[in-house]
Amino acid sequence: MNVSGMNVSGMNVSGRLLDVRHVWKSYTPDVFAVRDVNFTLEPGAFLTLLGPSGSGKTSTLMMVAGFEAPTEGEIRVGGRDVAGLPAEKRNFGVVFQGYALFPHMSVLDNVEFALRMRKVGRGDRRRQAMAMLDRVGLAAFAHRRPRELSGGQQQRVALARALVFEPDALLLDEPLGALDRKLREQLQAEIKDIQRRVGISILFVTHDQDEAMTMSDQIAVMADGQVVQIGTPAEVYQHPNTAFVAGFLGETNLLPVVVRGVENGHAVVRFEDGTTGRARMPRGGRPPASGASGFVSIRPERLRFLGDGASSDHSTDGVVGGHVFLGRHARSTVRALGQALIVSSLDPQRSETVRIGWDTDDAQLLAPEGPD
Amino acid sequence: MAPRSLGLTLAVAPIVFFLLLPSLIIIPMALTKGQLIQFPPQWISIHAFTDYLSDPQWMRSTLVSFQVSAFAVLVGGVTGTCAALALHGKTFAGKSLLTGLVLAPIVIPLIVLALGSYLVFAPLRLVGTWPGIGLVHALLVTPYVFISAQTSLTAELNPALVRSARSLGAGRWPVFRHVIWPAIRPGVLSGCVMGFAVSFDEVVVALFLQGPDTVTLPVRMFTAIQFELTPKIAASASLFILLATLALVAQGLLARRRPA
Repeated sequence: MNVSGMNVSGMNVSGRLLDVRHVWKSYTPDVFAVRDVNFTLEPGAFLTLLGPSGSGKTSTLMMVAGFEAPTEGEIRVGGRDVAGLPAEKRNFGVVFQGYALFPHMSVLDNVEFALRMRKVGRGDRRRQAMAMLDRVGLAAFAHRRPRELSGGQQQRVALARALVFEPDALLLDEPLGALDRKLREQLQAEIKDIQRRVGISILFVTHDQDEAMTMSDQIAVMADGQVVQIGTPAEVYQHPNTAFVAGFLGETNLLPVVVRGVENGHAVVRFEDGTTGRARMPRGGRPPASGASGFVSIRPERLRFLGDGASSDHSTDGVVGGHVFLGRHARSTVRALGQALIVSSLDPQRSETVRIGWDTDDAQLLAPEGPD
Repeated sequence: MAPRSLGLTLAVAPIVFFLLLPSLIIIPMALTKGQLIQFPPQWISIHAFTDYLSDPQWMRSTLVSFQVSAFAVLVGGVTGTCAALALHGKTFAGKSLLTGLVLAPIVIPLIVLALGSYLVFAPLRLVGTWPGIGLVHALLVTPYVFISAQTSLTAELNPALVRSARSLGAGRWPVFRHVIWPAIRPGVLSGCVMGFAVSFDEVVVALFLQGPDTVTLPVRMFTAIQFELTPKIAASASLFILLATLALVAQGLLARRRPA
């Protein structure tokens, strides 16, 4: 299985295919922190494990890195199972929260460290480390101590240190977790930029949905030790499989419905007001059976106020409860279908009674949660 | 640190004075002109110091003391550090029992330890040798190094550093050398300084295990005070005060160099 030549988006890629297959982890008998996790990280791709604390995302990363052994399952790198190898025998660059740079070593010694461990000669490793520092724009800081650098510079040192030995992938464990918003955004951009230039594949762990959306090619949403949905940021956001995913990735409207059947690949549902409409079937999980009650998720920005002559696949009447102006858009509360709906729009309706509508593709039927 | 109030200072001053007086009185007593140790001393002469420095028996004892304590710190430093490393970050049944065992030499009565080691060492021909005394002293040094190594492992060592090093390809020994040791070195060294001080003035074990050629300095002083009453005792005691002061200064420096 040779995939190292694979090209994700037209750039040079490095790294090898990482395949996590049916991985389970229990720390105490019968309590599983990670349950049957599966995902594939293509060379050059950016995959994020997104979930709240305790969802198993960090445990999963620690198993890939080799700090923890899976109770069951395979972790394959380029087709070879590495689950039995200790961290020091694997070939991943790991970046931790706070960066964990060696405080008593210079920046250059930090970056050289992995090459030194690999018995690369003094001259060679110095040259390679300097080239890597140059690449992240820190060649002038080679002889400083880590604590003399800014947070952004420290991150670049951490990335340089993790990249210099040409790892199979970069593993990032909430590297930006403790920083304020503005710095976070700047550092997110830097990580993406370095990834683009080096072409390395990245497995990223975060609990921040915005971070996951802006950075990733693919997001694996985790809850209770399981991957509940995996897909591109747009797919996961617009077409969540479950109420948990819908809620975790931003605000949504959950409309209670009764499922009537399936027609042309769409679910036919009856809304609270008795009208019938269509919704997208969930991609994963067990779809609700005909006659069962469930929920349809519609994002606030997919609901629109229908003016004269405007139409949509489905519409309903409502009463405006209030508006909140948020700068880029406004957030309105509308009572319709027996509940309060959130509508996000550029120019909210001033009238009290409104008609709001949405398209079938924006109405996502959710799979029920709980054990399969 | 500034005193909180005048009242507190007045209350503490006599206590400090009382604690320091016996130590400070030694130096003027060493400067006596007389041939006997006495108070108040007849000032002023340094003959006690020159007598001490030119007496081969007293010099021999000083050397033995340094040998014993250096050996004890070397052995106890390694075992204390190893014990702390081995127990760090692990939980298992019997861990606190094992910790208690390492710390036991602090609480076991010295007379029991001395008698026991005499009985064990006699058939091994270790009685009357400086390594014999040093080995038992190493037992006393170990808990001091253990405690300070354990404290620095929890307080000074960021576990993410160990993981970083491992992910970069470092096995056990390189992780220790490049990550753990730099973090715990000040703590271990200050434990060693403490241990040296404990070993250097230990009398009971050294008395039991002494031989004609292995009388440590405190034992020599103890014997001399009973039979000779020479001011050399006060002169050599001044050496102890000097060493203790150096140890305190060294500890202060080590503590300050510790990363914030």
